[in-house]
Amino acid sequence: MSFSVRRVRASRPVRALAATLIAGALLAGCSTFSEEGRDQYERGQGEQPGAEGTGEASESAKPEPPYDVRPLLDPKKKYLGVAADGAPAKMKAVEDFAKRAGKKPNLIEFYSAWGDQYEQELVKNSWDYGSVAFIAWEPFETSMKDIASGKEDKYIREYAKSVKELNLPVAISFAHEMNGFWYPWGTKKTSAADFTAAYKHIHDLFDDEGATQVIWVWSPNVTHPMPKVKLKPYWPGDDYVDWVGVIGYYAATGPNTYQTLYGPTMTQIRGFTNKPFIIAETAAQAGERKPADIKSLFQGTVQRDDVIGFVWFNFDKETDWRINSGPLSEKTFKQQAANSSFGFDVTKP
Amino acid sequence: MSDRRTPTWADDSELHDEYGYGQQQGQAQGHQQGQQQQGQQQYADNGYPQQYQQNGQQQQHQQQQQYGHGNQQQYAATDEDQRRYAQQESLRQYAQQAQTRPRVQPTYPPYQEQQAYQGGYVTETGSWRFDVHDRTTSYPDQQTYDTYAPYDPYASYTAVEPEAAPASVEPEAESEEKPGYTLPPVQESAWAVDGGRSKLLGRWVMLCVLLIQTGLSLRLRGTAFQDEALYIAAGHYEVGNILHGTPVPGDFEGYFSGYPKLYPVLAAMVDSVAGLAGVRIVSLFFMLGATALLYATTRRMFNVRAALGAAALFSVIQSTVFLGNFATFDAAAIFLLALSFWIVVRTGRSHILAVVLAAPPAFLAFGTKYAAGLYLPTLVVLAVLTTYRYRGLLAFARGVVFGGAMLAMLVASYLYTGSLGGISQTTTDRAKGADTAATILQHSSEWGGLMFLAALGGSIAYVIRPSMGEMPWVDKQGPGRFRRISLGVVLTGTALLAPVYQIHLQTEISLFKHVGFGLLFAGPMAGLGMSRLVGPHFRHPQLGIMLYVLTLVFGMVQSQQAYSFPDSKEMTAILRNMVDRKGSYLAEEHEVPAYYLRDKTDYDQWQSTFGMDYKDKKGKQHSGTDAYSAAVKDAKFDVIVLRGTVTPEVDTAVTDALRGNSHYRLAAVSRFTTSKGDGAFRIWVKR
Repeated sequence: MSFSVRRVRASRPVRALAATLIAGALLAGCSTFSEEGRDQYERGQGEQPGAEGTGEASESAKPEPPYDVRPLLDPKKKYLGVAADGAPAKMKAVEDFAKRAGKKPNLIEFYSAWGDQYEQELVKNSWDYGSVAFIAWEPFETSMKDIASGKEDKYIREYAKSVKELNLPVAISFAHEMNGFWYPWGTKKTSAADFTAAYKHIHDLFDDEGATQVIWVWSPNVTHPMPKVKLKPYWPGDDYVDWVGVIGYYAATGPNTYQTLYGPTMTQIRGFTNKPFIIAETAAQAGERKPADIKSLFQGTVQRDDVIGFVWFNFDKETDWRINSGPLSEKTFKQQAANSSFGFDVTKP
Repeated sequence: MSDRRTPTWADDSELHDEYGYGQQQGQAQGHQQGQQQQGQQQYADNGYPQQYQQNGQQQQHQQQQQYGHGNQQQYAATDEDQRRYAQQESLRQYAQQAQTRPRVQPTYPPYQEQQAYQGGYVTETGSWRFDVHDRTTSYPDQQTYDTYAPYDPYASYTAVEPEAAPASVEPEAESEEKPGYTLPPVQESAWAVDGGRSKLLGRWVMLCVLLIQTGLSLRLRGTAFQDEALYIAAGHYEVGNILHGTPVPGDFEGYFSGYPKLYPVLAAMVDSVAGLAGVRIVSLFFMLGATALLYATTRRMFNVRAALGAAALFSVIQSTVFLGNFATFDAAAIFLLALSFWIVVRTGRSHILAVVLAAPPAFLAFGTKYAAGLYLPTLVVLAVLTTYRYRGLLAFARGVVFGGAMLAMLVASYLYTGSLGGISQTTTDRAKGADTAATILQHSSEWGGLMFLAALGGSIAYVIRPSMGEMPWVDKQGPGRFRRISLGVVLTGTALLAPVYQIHLQTEISLFKHVGFGLLFAGPMAGLGMSRLVGPHFRHPQLGIMLYVLTLVFGMVQSQQAYSFPDSKEMTAILRNMVDRKGSYLAEEHEVPAYYLRDKTDYDQWQSTFGMDYKDKKGKQHSGTDAYSAAVKDAKFDVIVLRGTVTPEVDTAVTDALRGNSHYRLAAVSRFTTSKGDGAFRIWVKR
């Protein structure tokens, strides 16, 4: 019959057309539906390709801007800081200090070893108390070379992420007293170049992660125990440091005035930077001179506009550095701390 | 009971008597009689022809009444009427002759009711058929009405010549015995002539198409893209300029790809009422309008099925889906082009001057987005090709009238606005890219290849056969082969304009949007291709569904991939605390923060990374990337926002200048994920 012939002829162009369409689709599908295309699609939907959305989702759910630490960098008033036993995990020692000093400290320093996680809880505790946390990050069990070469990146990035996640200001002093010889990162085992490379590398990783809540402290010891060590080679650069945290104690021996203890170091540092100073660790050895030392510390800090405060090392370690080592010391400290220059609300600097 | 013996299509006044049977009536009658004499007809010869011969006028009158049974209007007893009747009659006879197979189906003769009661009759096969006619004949399944399709191999002619009845029976007597109801005329939608029902059905399907398009577009989400932010922000300043004469910051006319006092003004007005979401909804309406106009245009050019195919395909390609949720010139320009296209086709049977109506939207489309000018020649050629009322020179005259009208408007607007630098910078003289022809072609085929192939197939099928032949007897007064070829080439070829032009420019920028402009014109052909793929009588619906679903899947995936901008929500939230009315801010894609923070900053406070000149503190003039490094070293900006991918050279210069720079401090890093990869806004502030 004739119609069967017609049917075959009629469906031929249809088949050809269908075949062309399929071929075209396959050709075009090559990249749209390729591995890469699937990645693109998943990313486009805000997912990490190939991964089930787990941690990333909560991050995007919190569009809270990072804490702006700029007002804390150079406040009008001075920090009254303390490092006390058990703080800020337990605030008892700090509260005791505040009672004796007659003023709440607004900077609490504690120590963190390399490999420790970022102590979110401690930072939060001190912030809730009304103080900025100040972490002395001590790179034991690693070397500046390893850090600079990227071997510790994973840990550093995790630390940085944790800082960003908490979103509270924190001062971090990495590898303090680098100009001394007593620490593994000190002058005996580490070169200045390695130190600055490691410091910069950590800072860069923090920037990369967006952990901008950190106040970066560069913390040399006062120079008189090793006057030959020049500080400038250890300086990472103005864009890497917020505070210059000079460390110097009023000891029984050695310099015992503000000018003789800190003066030479500060003068040397002013040769290469104008960043504000903070006395990152200080105390006075128990003795007859102690009340005078305390007075010297307060008065010296008040007189210098570029010193924004100090951190009192309130421990009975090696010797009794606490303010209450003697009743006169405690009384003097209370009198001096009453100066309105010291202490301020860190949430409204 | 209906007395019709001719199918209702035969009522069509434009019935084309292909074989001229209407003129051969007498002859045919003689032939028929001859047949009867040969004994092939077992019924007495009292058919219409004889009646007609005997009492022609009366019969005609009766015929007129019979038509009154249907939905038809009364006809005047004119020559026209006679001619029509003669044509119908000849067709009936032709059908009788075409009948080759013997009737095996007993059929009820329509005139039996006029006879004496019989209680049954002898069938063709010689058996007795018991039949109580009053009971059975009222039902349609008794096949008392006539259906046939001469060219359809499955159909057989089942209508039967009336049984023997005395010739003296007056036709009037019959009309007195009319049954309680009559059958409605056969619905024509089943036969591919677009009747009222098929149009209604088409509209419902069209509604579904539009709903799907809406869903696909609204599924895309994101914060403002650079261009959206720019146009809306610019629009606010243009509105201020128009209302209060406040100066516009920046030379928008100099680098916009459309006239800044058209779309941006609309966008800004909507933005002040409904925000970015509202402006995007306006784009959605533009795109839905374009789809609907494409449907109307294609229906006018071809038929409902092709129109549905065109609309269905166009509604799901990535450019349509994307632009339906994208607040830029594109959606408005596509809508205006579609409007102009529709007017050109719609006025094809009107006076040639009516085409002038299509000029304003076409001109506005060009003004809205200069790239739409690429399609104005297509519209002019279409104005010629779609002239159905006139031929020859007058058709060309229509094109000339249309082109002239557009040209006049262009000249007038040129005199009004002066030269627009934006046209050359963004459209004709765009910076040459490094994209090769191969990649551009590959990507274009991914973006619009399926619809283009459908259009190509449709054009070829259209050239080979103008109709699908579901109703071969219907008037085929379609365009001739030359016009069909031209239509196919112009419409389908238009889809290639944008890729070809961008291959010439060697840049792929915005091409994924521009393919949609071309595919709007290829739409009718693609719809035709789809309806041909489905075939006559919906023979291969699966192929049509396959084509649609494939296009849909590509459209969905590709639009999602393209609609992926950095999420700027966090970035603007951070900046909000840092900016004021005095500062100076450097930002990559500065339009986005400038738009979102327009309540706190002015547009001029934002410096782009696309280029600037800078005079440093020592009075030295810098330009290019040098200007940026010098300005950053001088701490000229209060805030710096870098994204790192849009202007890599400037970014490198700025980050280098930030290194060792004590003026700035990194304030925040806001991460985002796009389909192109992960990235981050880095925000520096002055210490």
